[in-house]
Amino acid sequence: MKRVRQTPAGWQFQLLQNEVNYLRLLVGMFPFGEPPPVNISNADQSPEAAERESLLGESLAEHRKQLKQFARKFIAGQKWEQHENGLLLTLDAESRETLLQILNDVRVACWHALGEPESLGFPDASQLQSMTQEMGWRCALEMAGYFECALLEPEE
Amino acid sequence: MLKMPSVFEPATVPRPGSEPGTKSRDELAPTFHVVCWNDPVNLMVYVTHVFMRVFGWNQAKAQKHMLEVHEKGRSVLAREGAEKAEFYVHQLQQYKLQATMEPAE
Repeated sequence: MKRVRQTPAGWQFQLLQNEVNYLRLLVGMFPFGEPPPVNISNADQSPEAAERESLLGESLAEHRKQLKQFARKFIAGQKWEQHENGLLLTLDAESRETLLQILNDVRVACWHALGEPESLGFPDASQLQSMTQEMGWRCALEMAGYFECALLEPEE
Repeated sequence: MLKMPSVFEPATVPRPGSEPGTKSRDELAPTFHVVCWNDPVNLMVYVTHVFMRVFGWNQAKAQKHMLEVHEKGRSVLAREGAEKAEFYVHQLQQYKLQATMEPAE
């Protein structure tokens, strides 16, 4: 996946057919897993903090609903233009942010599913040989990171 | 005889709470540090981008705070009143960053 054009209206990315498949797979995974517990403060134990935490929980749940709507539309109705070397994805600023949030949500959810490891070093051969459920999460985590980097490719 | 202020000499009217040695209501309101905590999963490029989006910072400032999170385990991103600090924490957590608001000393 690489950016091929940037206009005031947004960005255009070129993807290979396999990349389109993986991107759709990841977006289709959202929402993955249960949302983690909400925490607004580590030190503040006041009743006001508890109230703020409750509001934060509601706000995050509402936001998750909006991301879910976007994910459904992306899977069902995203237009992919044919291009000589693959397919083109056009995103305006808001859509790019939403897609980034969805990919990162999936990435973080995979990390939770993996037991929140401190290190995310490259897996060794023995791990790769056993394609367990954990390896599936691990691959999804890495793929989400790949697409996030592509979406945030530095501007020229 | 009273001296009337000229147009170049603005008359100053003392406001309640503004006498020397006293604090206004805003100054007395509790303030909070918006803190971002390190985690091993969010990518550095992503965290920098989120700081730029949420706080409107340039890349250099966003990157400085991202590196502080990465190297020191946390970075204080802002010091604000409760409402604004809460707003920032909502925004940062929507992006899945580990952000909290802590009472400022």
